[in-house]
Amino acid sequence: MSLETVLASIFSAAFIATILRTSTPIILPAMGGLISELAGVINIALEGIMLAAAFFGVVVGALGPEWLPGLPGWIYPWLGALAGITVGLGLALIIAFFHLELGADIIMAALAINILAAGGTVFLMFSLTGDKGSTSTLASPALPTITIPLVSYIPFVGQVFNGENLSGYNMITYVAFISVGLVWVFLYRTRLGTHLRAVGENPAAAASVGINVKRVQYIALLISGVLAALGGINLSMGYLTLFQADMTAGRGFIALAAVFLGNKNPVGTLIAALIFGAAGALEAQLGTLNIPSQLITMIPPLVTIAALVIYNLRRQAQMAANARKFQEKLEADQKAV
Amino acid sequence: MSATRRQMALEIVRIVVVVALALLLGFFITALVSDDPVGAYTEFLTGPLPKVSINDDGSWQLRGVNRFGNWIEDSITLILLGLSVAIVFSARQFSLGAEGQLFLGALAAGAVSLYIQAPAVIHISLALIAAGSAGFIWGLIPGALKAYLNADEIVSTLMLNIIAIQFYQFVLIRYMRDFSAGYVGTEYFPETAVLPVVIPGTRVTVALFITIAAVVVVWFFMSRMPLGYEIRMLGANRKFAEYGGIKVKRVITLSMAISGILAGLAGTHLSMGLLKQLTLSLSPNIGFEGIVVALLARNDPKWVPVAGLFYGYLRTGAQIMERSSDVTREMVLVIQAVIILFITAELILPLIQQWWRRRRSPKAILDSIEEVGDVA
Repeated sequence: MSLETVLASIFSAAFIATILRTSTPIILPAMGGLISELAGVINIALEGIMLAAAFFGVVVGALGPEWLPGLPGWIYPWLGALAGITVGLGLALIIAFFHLELGADIIMAALAINILAAGGTVFLMFSLTGDKGSTSTLASPALPTITIPLVSYIPFVGQVFNGENLSGYNMITYVAFISVGLVWVFLYRTRLGTHLRAVGENPAAAASVGINVKRVQYIALLISGVLAALGGINLSMGYLTLFQADMTAGRGFIALAAVFLGNKNPVGTLIAALIFGAAGALEAQLGTLNIPSQLITMIPPLVTIAALVIYNLRRQAQMAANARKFQEKLEADQKAV
Repeated sequence: MSATRRQMALEIVRIVVVVALALLLGFFITALVSDDPVGAYTEFLTGPLPKVSINDDGSWQLRGVNRFGNWIEDSITLILLGLSVAIVFSARQFSLGAEGQLFLGALAAGAVSLYIQAPAVIHISLALIAAGSAGFIWGLIPGALKAYLNADEIVSTLMLNIIAIQFYQFVLIRYMRDFSAGYVGTEYFPETAVLPVVIPGTRVTVALFITIAAVVVVWFFMSRMPLGYEIRMLGANRKFAEYGGIKVKRVITLSMAISGILAGLAGTHLSMGLLKQLTLSLSPNIGFEGIVVALLARNDPKWVPVAGLFYGYLRTGAQIMERSSDVTREMVLVIQAVIILFITAELILPLIQQWWRRRRSPKAILDSIEEVGDVA
């Protein structure tokens, strides 16, 4: 493929559609990571929670008809999704309980959950299917896709809004974008959201004005569990309808990076997640151009580290400027006296 | 018994109890999925041990030496990674960068092995130095970012892991690959760059001695050298360390860089000892395995070999179990997760004590008060 065709394919509606699809499983856990980080209980188990939810979504979706026969067919994928979310909640609850009640370090508790999910999913997959690689022997359902009527007739716009084949996006993609708005409203327009940010900023101060710090942090971790679980379900019950070992492939960690790259606010995090999604989409496109995919994969982490450096340099400069202003004001006051 | 002695004894009891409970839980989940859980679990718990078989004529022979070898080979990796993690955790820095450092260490060692010709001693020394330096630099970066810019080390090390592994694969595929092999890998290293085997019939090489030396050096460094002391001070209480005149930024940076050396050396064990070449994945998912080792050892270098041998034993046992039963080796990861969760749960013991005290009758409490009075 020549450079022109690749460029043409990158600057196309189909490519935008690909980005929306590839960033969905980054946006959702990133929103979860954002909420937990802002509450001062950074959840680095997004990766493990996604993986476990992806697995249980597939298993319950596929084996549901066996376990609960007689229900209408459309209900099984929803049961799968529900199972995935429940598992996500459960794992987040374990982290919260061990950290908040039993004094475990939050990083360690979350690492344990990542290890549990990586090991547990393969362990269960093998005992259920006899295969350690994927659940391809199970016929698992997908969650419905949503097609917006009429726009498909409009060139370009149709592909952006209904995907490259005009067959619509998986509903979780819509959930992802809606979640950004909901998270924004939650954080900046509700009482609990304000409390949450206060707890993350300074737990002692928050407690002193009567905020129940532990309760807020429980809620934050549980929300992050649900959002990460939705991201995992998107991987295994959307475009693909199976579970593979290590299916998340580091997306949970990339989502965490998106929180930091996005300056710890919902819109910034969304943009960062879209950049990471674009890098993923680009990787697939450039594979045909003999540009090594490894170099593309390196871009998001490099950008994240650069952003960390720039953000902290700016903060230091700002703090220095504030200190200088304070000093000048002090001197001016002394002169006046 | 002095207070610290007592505390340590209590700590050991706690760790043993947690491990025992985790192994018990492992048995339960094995029983859930296996047709022969006892057989599978016996393989898991005794597999790595060599077995003596006595022939009819009274002579005996040792079987399963290679399994025993697998145990020691794996433990070497785990001990080096455990030391690496113990150093940063002592400084209370949550560097998760061992994986990237290991890959770059292996890459540096591989480059020296393949592109430089020298007599064995010099060749191996150069490769070890190259690997240690690569690890050092890959630890220095997040260390400096944390110390001087306050950049979160969890995020930066996770990102640096991705960069390191992608770079490793890029260089391997692009420049170092041997196309005559049916898979992605380099040529086998020349003989002068392969670590000599010390236990015949296994792949246990001089990496064993390097590891023993590393344990001694890290122990000496952490307990007898000023920088080691400063690292521990920083970990115990950062404000206090600052107040005591410790250059905290320098100590953070160096703790992460020095920890990188050991992860880099683990990379040489994998490449120059076990594989004798570079392959695409080296040793899958080895990156975070040093954490459980450091945790079990309570970040104390002299306990790291014990913890490493223990966890290596479980990992090897799980592999043997997988080969000879219907249970996969990933069971050991579930056990590991449970161990990490319960060992880091610092408050479990006090909570149990509290609950116990509340359960006791008022009379018992009165008695205990009298007891205290007697002692006083």
